[in-house]
Amino acid sequence: MNYERPELLDRLAAEYVLGLLRYGARARFERLCGERPPALAARQRWEDRLLPLSLALAPVTPDAGRWSQIERAIDATSAGGAAPRPPAAARRWWPLALAAGLLAIAVLVGRLTFWSEPAWQPVALLAPANAAPLWRVERSADAAQIKIRTLAPVTLGAAQSYELWVLPSGGGNPVSLGLLPRQGGLERRLTPTQRSLLLAARQVAVSVEPAGGSPTGLPTGPVVIVAPIARAT
Amino acid sequence: MPTADGNELDDLLRRCARQDASALQALYAHAAPLLLAVLVRMLGTRAAAEDALQDAFIRIWQQAGQFDRIKGRAMAWMVAIARNRAIDLQRARRPTVLLDAAELAAAEQLRVEGPAENVEFDAAHAALRRCLELLGGAQRQCLLLAYQRGLTQERIALAIGQPLGTVKSWVRRGLQSLRACMES
Repeated sequence: MNYERPELLDRLAAEYVLGLLRYGARARFERLCGERPPALAARQRWEDRLLPLSLALAPVTPDAGRWSQIERAIDATSAGGAAPRPPAAARRWWPLALAAGLLAIAVLVGRLTFWSEPAWQPVALLAPANAAPLWRVERSADAAQIKIRTLAPVTLGAAQSYELWVLPSGGGNPVSLGLLPRQGGLERRLTPTQRSLLLAARQVAVSVEPAGGSPTGLPTGPVVIVAPIARAT
Repeated sequence: MPTADGNELDDLLRRCARQDASALQALYAHAAPLLLAVLVRMLGTRAAAEDALQDAFIRIWQQAGQFDRIKGRAMAWMVAIARNRAIDLQRARRPTVLLDAAELAAAEQLRVEGPAENVEFDAAHAALRRCLELLGGAQRQCLLLAYQRGLTQERIALAIGQPLGTVKSWVRRGLQSLRACMES
């Protein structure tokens, strides 16, 4: 097909935006948009032209528990490690959704009642030997969440990740607290086990792992940082 | 729909690209009810639409770094992601969407109410509405069934009882006329 003809490109773009292209043609047009700016521009013009038809619909409020499900999913899919998304059937399991919704409301009410912002307490500054800190780790007052910020550019091959571990006081295997971000920051909810280990532990550690995190659940690569946990004052 | 400034939404998407989950939550608060309305209309059931909404926000999160920062396009970008998810889901399932006469009639009607007190939106919507009204009823019905209900041309042909070739030519001429009208 001759994509140089503007009227043809425009027709393809319109049919793409309307959703009329078949699967193969649809994928081809998406690739074309990545390669050819005029295709992307034609597509965006049609998206913009038809957008008022979407914006004019009466809004529908999502179920109360939906946001917490999205939050859990992005925790799992972004820097949080290799945990797969639950299948749609599981996501549609309504008692779970209802419970999550009630929990979200309870948490929200709790927050509104007692503190408007979670009070973050220092956990550790993660610095390689003789170098400036790369990450700051904080936790919420109840240790149900941790917050991680990168403090300096983090360099590591694309096939590797840095993983954060809590070293249980009194020995025992390290327990993962998830991957460390390469840039920016993130907040992550802890499981009850992670939470109680973190509250009792004296040290955290960072290891280099394959992209996506340790395949075994224990550190497999070199441990590059061991840092003391700040005690709550 | 809350009338957040387009720049504000652009900024929230940029923060999502930096993995700031609070920015995604703010986008969700602003855009989820609208995207869910789009998805309910396309997928027909609340349960399917809610699942698609969740998938759409995960994609928004994952693809925020690719958001092309043309000023004020954040909403168009998010609607496109939600629509694409619905289109994928529709194509993957059996054609069970059967429209009744009332729904077909509704596809010829154009909703007139937009978000309250949004001058920019009102102007864009009025222009689109005027141009759609200039189309023949059959052309308009085909375009709206495709865009709002996510129907393929084959399903539109079944729904309105016309040959596929006729539907294809209505769609093509409808799109040509719509573009000419909106560019004039």
